[in-house]
Amino acid sequence: MIHLLSLITFIPLVGALVVLCLPKDGRRPIEVVGLLATALPLVLSCWLYAAFDCSDAAGATMQFVERHAWIPSMNVQYYLGVDGLSGPLVILTALMSLIAMIASLGIKERFKEYVFWFLVLEVGMLGVFESLDFFLFYVFWELTLVPMYFLIGVWGGPQKEYAAIKFFLYTLTGSVFMLLAILALYFQADPHTFDMVALMKIHGSLSLKFQIIVFLGFYLGFAVKVPAFPFHTWLPLAHVEAPTAISVILAAVLLKMGVYGIMRVSYTMLPLGFEWFLPILVMIAVINIVYGALCAMAQTDMKKMVAYSSINHMGYCLLAIAGCSATGFSGSLLQMVNHGIITGALFLLVGVIYDRAHTRDITVFGGLATRVPVYAGFMSLACFASLGLPGLAGFVSEFLCFLGAFTRWKYHTAVAVVGILVTAAFFLRMIEKVFLGPLNNRWADLSDMNARELVSVVPLAILMVALGIWPKWALGMMNATMMHMAGLFK
Amino acid sequence: MIEHAFLIPLLPLAASFLILFGGPERKDSPLPYAGIAAIGLSLWISLRILFDAWSGALPLPYEADWSWFSFAAELRGRPFIFDMRAGVLIEGATAVMLAVVCLVSLLVQVYSLGYMHGDAKFKRYYAYLSFFTASMLGLVVSNNLLVTFACWELVGVSSYLLIGFWFEKTAPPYAAKKAFITTKLGDLGFFLALLTIFAYGGTFNIVRLRDAVAMGYLPELVLTLIGLGLLAGAMGKSAQWPLFIWLPDAMEGPTPVSALIHAATMVAAGIYLVARCYFIFAASQVAMDAVAWTGLITAFLAGTMALVPYDIKRVLAFSTVSQLGFMMCALGVGGYAAGLFHLTTHAFFKALLFLGAGSVIHAVHTNDMRQMGGLSKRMPVTFMTMTVGSLALAGIPPLAGFFSKDQILEKVFERSPFMFAVLALTACLTAFYTFRMVFLTFRGEERDTERFRHAEESGGVMTVPLVILAVLSVCSGWALEHAHAFARLVGSGPGLLPGAAGEAAHHIDPMVMATGVTGAAFLAIGLAYRLYCTPDLSAALAWKERLSLPFKVLEDRYGFDAFFLGLVDAADRLAGLCRWVDAEVVDRIFVDGWGLLCRIAAELSNLFDALFVDQAVDGCGYISRDVVGANLRWFSLRGRVQEYLLYLAVGVSLFSILR
Repeated sequence: MIHLLSLITFIPLVGALVVLCLPKDGRRPIEVVGLLATALPLVLSCWLYAAFDCSDAAGATMQFVERHAWIPSMNVQYYLGVDGLSGPLVILTALMSLIAMIASLGIKERFKEYVFWFLVLEVGMLGVFESLDFFLFYVFWELTLVPMYFLIGVWGGPQKEYAAIKFFLYTLTGSVFMLLAILALYFQADPHTFDMVALMKIHGSLSLKFQIIVFLGFYLGFAVKVPAFPFHTWLPLAHVEAPTAISVILAAVLLKMGVYGIMRVSYTMLPLGFEWFLPILVMIAVINIVYGALCAMAQTDMKKMVAYSSINHMGYCLLAIAGCSATGFSGSLLQMVNHGIITGALFLLVGVIYDRAHTRDITVFGGLATRVPVYAGFMSLACFASLGLPGLAGFVSEFLCFLGAFTRWKYHTAVAVVGILVTAAFFLRMIEKVFLGPLNNRWADLSDMNARELVSVVPLAILMVALGIWPKWALGMMNATMMHMAGLFK
Repeated sequence: MIEHAFLIPLLPLAASFLILFGGPERKDSPLPYAGIAAIGLSLWISLRILFDAWSGALPLPYEADWSWFSFAAELRGRPFIFDMRAGVLIEGATAVMLAVVCLVSLLVQVYSLGYMHGDAKFKRYYAYLSFFTASMLGLVVSNNLLVTFACWELVGVSSYLLIGFWFEKTAPPYAAKKAFITTKLGDLGFFLALLTIFAYGGTFNIVRLRDAVAMGYLPELVLTLIGLGLLAGAMGKSAQWPLFIWLPDAMEGPTPVSALIHAATMVAAGIYLVARCYFIFAASQVAMDAVAWTGLITAFLAGTMALVPYDIKRVLAFSTVSQLGFMMCALGVGGYAAGLFHLTTHAFFKALLFLGAGSVIHAVHTNDMRQMGGLSKRMPVTFMTMTVGSLALAGIPPLAGFFSKDQILEKVFERSPFMFAVLALTACLTAFYTFRMVFLTFRGEERDTERFRHAEESGGVMTVPLVILAVLSVCSGWALEHAHAFARLVGSGPGLLPGAAGEAAHHIDPMVMATGVTGAAFLAIGLAYRLYCTPDLSAALAWKERLSLPFKVLEDRYGFDAFFLGLVDAADRLAGLCRWVDAEVVDRIFVDGWGLLCRIAAELSNLFDALFVDQAVDGCGYISRDVVGANLRWFSLRGRVQEYLLYLAVGVSLFSILR
């Protein structure tokens, strides 16, 4: 046994501890350890990808399972495993962590603490997707909160303290309801267990009323993370105030925890509650899509605009889940991966311009394409990917999302497609105002992207194109599990 | 050769990436020739396929596809792995369209060597052009409607890049955005149609979908909705009413781009889509009627709008919209072959007219026809070829436009004499505005001597494509009409409803109709001659004075632009409202409200603490000191120790008893 998942999860923790022991003044060793501790999990998760069993038979089982008793008196286990649902998200997390770590190399002050908290954050994120024991799951879930609080609160923008406390308290509130729901399930199970795989099998004995109440508890926890309307307002503020790399992590990984939770927990453990909630969920999804896009259109701050576009894109995921079909689940999961890559790139790119111009106001630029062609090219690519241009990653997943929802919610889907138009409108307007037209002389000596920025953006750009042309690479890993999931309650 | 059909779009695609990434931007970069070579190869394959199909050596339709990706899908509650296959489907119409697109594309690329010579972004221009051609060819050959849609969006983005090619100016980026968003609005319909197709048909494959429709698996209402969705997509891409607002602005792009994308090929994609999915429209009378009326309204409105502009490219743009309306109308009345025929001939003569206009603009550096005049003396080749193109557009026999327009009018008359009357009137308008343009540009006296003196005939690299297109504009109609070659090649369209085309409701002698329409066209040309072939424009201006209101309406494009701008404005206001609601209502209620709730709870518990818990403590103190203690003092005051001991003993014994 190689303990692949444990290695992936805890190498960053080892890195964090090593960083703690390093002297504060030597920047280089901290950089090396930080990069190594994020690169190794990525290498290992590539191994995971290669060794992953994509056959139909493997769809119903967890792979790379590690299972040990942890606190026997409460029947708590150390239980890790991945399937086609969590596997892609683990790889995404490892990838985006490395990218964000590269982007973090520009952090000037208190670099040591920054790397420490960053690595702890990665442990939490990876653990959430891998754990199959609720106790462990909750530990990891909460583990993401504290580092995030410090990363925003210390290294953030002008309103960082306010944003950090808002983020922390708000998401913590959600988690508390989730904890109650977890405990309810624990005590309902006989014998009492936190084992998620076992809990997936007890839904037959749960009454509708119980399922609804527990569902709502979980939903509050997940919806805040997604973020689903009306619990989304912490996101724009947190994004605007967070440092670039943390925005990347927030958008690319943290939001996925919510959708992952809905698919992994709410749908499989509480099918009746889920079914009961679907008509509401689809409304929320449509609001997320249309309202999120409209809010984005009204923003003049680039980062806020991208943040609201995330709300719109996560709406696609919710819509697809509300379709409650294999198509929808595939679409939702693929959209999560693609959104992580695309929006991660968008936040990186917004950071690039902010570092130079010290403003993100769309209206003060103009004609930058002549001055910074490489930057303009990448930004346009990312924008087009985000608005769902075919040939780039977003298209197939968006299409699958709508396809998955359409069979069941025809009118809702028909309304939701308006979101596509609005998304196109605000991204194109942004491109026009910032890059096209006559050059605004105020920016006549802006410099183009440097090597570090290119190293962090280029891999994402390549992935956008690769997954757009050949979505098989991602879908192949998911198909069997999605089939299994869709067939659970048929 | 047919087995290499998949290479037709892939060659220009490879070329576009080679050009973009293959080397630095230099004036003498050889990379553009890679684009020309690639499209030349594609043209060769297409022509071989066309020839084989025409001679009957190649049985059509030909289909070949490969697995693209698979995903877990679900239909009627049954999950399965859906294999998404991408490939080629070659029918008669496809073969024709491939040849047309490749040919015009090649000519435009050669022409651009002259037109774009010396531009700072010469190489990038060729990369975009090749990318456009690749996506357009992909759209044409694809056997999978989702892939068609993907290519459809990609031609849209190529169009965006090329309209906005001179992005240092203010107008082109705006026009590019307008084009993209307007077509995207129509694409939402296409998108919904695709969703409906999959939900009911379970496939994106055109042949399988056709079988499913033929077997009656799809209810008529569903087919109608799919048809209307596809039509919405076509309205955007083919600039049909009311989404035609973007095409005149799209003229901000380089003129060869207008010729290729906004005249010959991309704007024909909507027509082609309707033709490709004709089996869907044919199954629904409502969808057919919608197509016909959309085409009719578009043809007429755009025909009238072409009467007033002085920008040579805008005249041609409105003309293109009007002609696309003709094609759409033809398809809607069951004239499958007639519509596609007009698409083909129009591609040649309209590309010719645009390239000719480009040649003029290249020479005089303005689009404004009021500053031209008398140019026939300076640019004889351009003048001659453009006259040929104009005659073809005006539908004068025996040029190409005559045959195709004639077929359309005939088909439309069979369906409805009213529609025929509108289209015939539009045909006269066509003749009038076309020759208004020719006379304003080339005849009369020079109105701007400075520009006139510097005007020179364009070089061979630009005139040769003009001549080739002129030859095609002369011959293609007659050659394709001959022995019904074209109709035989594309077929008459699959599965028509009896009412739509089976028996004609009205009959007219083709000779009478052709003579009448041609005569009217000649009259219109004569009128244009009287008004515009004069030393100055006084006669025309007098008319404009007299008819100021209609002119105003036409110059305002019937207010459609204003309407859509108002729509954008409304959307912006709505967005602003959403932003306000988000910050001031949702955030206040759910975040601040939650915070407030916690604060209130905290205050309450504090109050409780202060009022009850703390008061209880104080109360105990009060009771023990002021109530009990004060009374006990009565005992203690007396200072009798024995009494105290007595009370103690009583108390202890009471306790022990009570226990």
